Amino acid sequence: MTGTKTENRLLDVKGLTVEIETRSGPAVIVDGIDLHVDRGETLGVVGESGCGKSLTMLSLMRLLPNKIHVAKGEAHFDGRDLQKMSNRELRKVRGGDIGFVFQDPMTSLNPVMRIGEQLAEPLIYHRGMSKKEARARAVELLRLVGIPGPEQRIEAYPHELSGGMRQRVMIAIGLACEPKLLIADEPTTALDVTIQAQIVDLVKGLREKLGMSVVWITHDLALIAGLVDRVIVLYAGTVVEDAPVDELYAHPRHPYTRGLLASIPKLSDQPASRLNSIGGTPPEPGRRPQGCPFAPRCPLAMDICRTHVPKLEPVAAAGSHRTACFAAEKAREAA
Amino acid sequence: MSAVQTEPATLSEEPPVSLWRDAWYRLKRNRLAIFGLCVIVLLAFTAIFGPYLTPYDFLGQDLEARNQAPSFAHLFGTDDLGRDVFSRVVYGTRTAFLVAVVVTAIALVIGTVLGAVAGFFGNPFDRVIMWLTDVTMSVPNLLLVVVINASLKTPIAQWMEARYLETLNPFYRETVWIDFLLVFGSMALISWPPYARLVRAQVLSIRSRPYITAAQALGLSNRIILTRYVIPNALGPLIVAVSAGLGTAMVLESAFSFLGVGVNPPTPSWGNMISDGLRVWQHYPHLLAAPAAVLGLASVAFSFLGDGLNDALNPRGSK
Amino acid sequence: MGAEPLLKIENLVKHFHVRLGAFGERAATVHALDDFTLDIEEGETLSLVGESGCGKSTTGFTILNLHRATAGKVLYKGQDLTALDEKRMRPFRRDLQIVFQDPYSTLNPRMTVGEAIGEPILFHKLATKTELEGKVAALLTDVGLPPRFASRYPHELSGGQRQRVVIARALACQPKFIVCDEAISALDVSIQAQIINLLLDLQEKYGLTYLFIAHDLAVVRHISTRVGVMYLGRLAELASRDELFDTPLHPYTKALLSAVPETDPQHERDRKRQILQGDVPSPLDPPAGCRFHTRCPIAMEVCRHKVPNWKEARPGHLVACHAVNGE
Repeated sequence: MTGTKTENRLLDVKGLTVEIETRSGPAVIVDGIDLHVDRGETLGVVGESGCGKSLTMLSLMRLLPNKIHVAKGEAHFDGRDLQKMSNRELRKVRGGDIGFVFQDPMTSLNPVMRIGEQLAEPLIYHRGMSKKEARARAVELLRLVGIPGPEQRIEAYPHELSGGMRQRVMIAIGLACEPKLLIADEPTTALDVTIQAQIVDLVKGLREKLGMSVVWITHDLALIAGLVDRVIVLYAGTVVEDAPVDELYAHPRHPYTRGLLASIPKLSDQPASRLNSIGGTPPEPGRRPQGCPFAPRCPLAMDICRTHVPKLEPVAAAGSHRTACFAAEKAREAA
Repeated sequence: MSAVQTEPATLSEEPPVSLWRDAWYRLKRNRLAIFGLCVIVLLAFTAIFGPYLTPYDFLGQDLEARNQAPSFAHLFGTDDLGRDVFSRVVYGTRTAFLVAVVVTAIALVIGTVLGAVAGFFGNPFDRVIMWLTDVTMSVPNLLLVVVINASLKTPIAQWMEARYLETLNPFYRETVWIDFLLVFGSMALISWPPYARLVRAQVLSIRSRPYITAAQALGLSNRIILTRYVIPNALGPLIVAVSAGLGTAMVLESAFSFLGVGVNPPTPSWGNMISDGLRVWQHYPHLLAAPAAVLGLASVAFSFLGDGLNDALNPRGSK
Repeated sequence: MGAEPLLKIENLVKHFHVRLGAFGERAATVHALDDFTLDIEEGETLSLVGESGCGKSTTGFTILNLHRATAGKVLYKGQDLTALDEKRMRPFRRDLQIVFQDPYSTLNPRMTVGEAIGEPILFHKLATKTELEGKVAALLTDVGLPPRFASRYPHELSGGQRQRVVIARALACQPKFIVCDEAISALDVSIQAQIINLLLDLQEKYGLTYLFIAHDLAVVRHISTRVGVMYLGRLAELASRDELFDTPLHPYTKALLSAVPETDPQHERDRKRQILQGDVPSPLDPPAGCRFHTRCPIAMEVCRHKVPNWKEARPGHLVACHAVNGE
């Protein structure tokens, strides 16, 4: 499933730190994240709002909002350093080798452009296609993402499509240049359950057909269970756990991952009157506690957790399951 | 893991911050806005107390000392009648503030009432009021003011003259007030539509906010909803508009006085001083420079404060 | 059950009239809610589920008379609420409360938490000014917040904390019935669990009745006594929780249940999902006959022109589907 050889790495991020300017100076929101995506691998990035999961991916493409900037870190994509690229080179990568799908298809599509033109644009820009070729390819792409009647639909404006259809168009745009990596940022959050199931199935099928890597950012652990190969769990801007998907769901080690899994009601559960929940709320940027950021909410917190920051370390000697927790051993015993 | 019932207090110990206090905090950090505010406070102080503190009377002529360059005796020099320009600029500040405050207040009252009625009660009020707004805005401002002045000034002056001859009441000799009355009236007439539009838009948007529905669901009365929920939330943009409006009114007054349809000599106004100064600027540049600089400063100050208030009261994006 | 239901809803209809086209030249009707009949029993949690545009939120608003019903009745204590104007509705508002989806926008940003909670108490004269502080403190404690939060402003609180404040405000009038309109949908997973637990605790403590409107079936299964499934403004199925989740009858319910992902990778990879094709049609122009027939995997000829009856397929299990035989 996951090779660890470096030549197999498509994306390799080391020590990425992102800061936001606040009244009281810069505050860290992404704190030295390490992550990698192998060729052909699907990575799930899970975390709650404000954990920095979207910013991590946006920062790679220099698409960060105002007042937020990368403080340090390296990011290699396909052997090239993204941070050292000129804006011009980076534009070639965006939408070319790396495709994006955003959460809200209504606001991410240009409302005054026909969807055919929006699809053709990256093809003309990145692939140097003629208008006619791009149009033909646009029809092909719409068919690929399962939009009925693509020849007619390329003439439609975004508002004429339903939410699910718009998200399919977004995916088609993301895939237009046959990217090596597709980054999907909460692509189904704004959609209904039955439509969400359609989109997940679509991406699954496309990944197999096109052989690309996928990073799927979400807050929903259940959604990605059947979709991804590996999961990293983010909390307050740090990676707290990184494990192959089966391993993560079967033997979560970090107390946060465990709490998160426990707080999801499951259809297969016996209905219980109370859910297990994690008390408290995640720290705000700039108010991060000393030591482990999860310590104030952690049921297993020890003295060391409040003074030292745990490192992301393998759980077993040679395993690909890593977690950043002083109490991970205790967590296993408690399991 | 055991269930946690209560919310561990993740709240800082700092005192609570209302949105007003928060806005003031943001404003304080905006140097340009604070610069603007200081200038405005200084000008306002000048407008109120200045005329009592100046060394010369703004009308006092000293024909021995005409067209003098700036000196310690006459900070901004003297004009062709030997009047102290500094004293006249100071008095002009009073004129500018008086016009700006009165005009903005009238426009604000008209605009707020009409806008709130249009927004709150909807059609048919909305349609009529918005039609009135559009019509007013579509008439060229300058043209309207010139027409009002040209057509009303002489009849009013004549009537006053007649009244004076009839009663010998000195009140009717005070023709200075005719100028002000016409300036107030005509400028208020062209200034209210933006306020009406703004208030209407605010009321419409706030009326559809979920917290208004929430207040209705609690069974609160319309009066409470209007005074405690709609109005406090509509104030932010209105404050910004008033700040910008005061600056605009000042510039407008100067422009009209410059063109001779505003405040007329001998009452000093920055506008008529600039107009006088312009005729001789090649020989006596200070006569133009002094009022123009103060007008520019005032305009910029209101502009900075308005922008600062806008950023402070209507912050976009993250805090 | 047997006792008189808390609320009797009879043939409730809500249509919105809208104008379409660049100049609003075409009048159209949104069929947000049609022919909704339901009893809500005292002390139960009745959930309404369905996809966006199915009318579940409209139902909550119309029951509380926040939207004027187009037709039908809502009977509470023998009084038809739909016949009341805002002023005569006011005393009933104390008993019938609502918690909205987005805690960020349902609190007045210019009021402190204490003022927000205190407002309905003072307005309905449930306490004097001197007693108010104690009342507010007790309510905050009830929802798991320290009383010192009373002096705070909404923007200083997190989403979960705000939702607790909204719940405290709803409780301020000692209501009997609370509509939870997607009350947890905007919250993070770990916070959702906290709020669900809070709602359950409060129900036990004060004997509350909930109408729980949600799209997350797993949450609904956790919290409900009975569940109603809605599609395009109509009830498709209604049954007790276990009955509905164990033996769903309506093809839409089955598809909905099958679309819910679970936290089991092996199971997720292997399972054969029944994925519905297409999208929900527009409520501006709902399909004739059974509104689900355009997406239904087992649609028959009759489904295209005849609206299925609302019938009791098994005891207490109602469904509107031609393919299901009634008893």
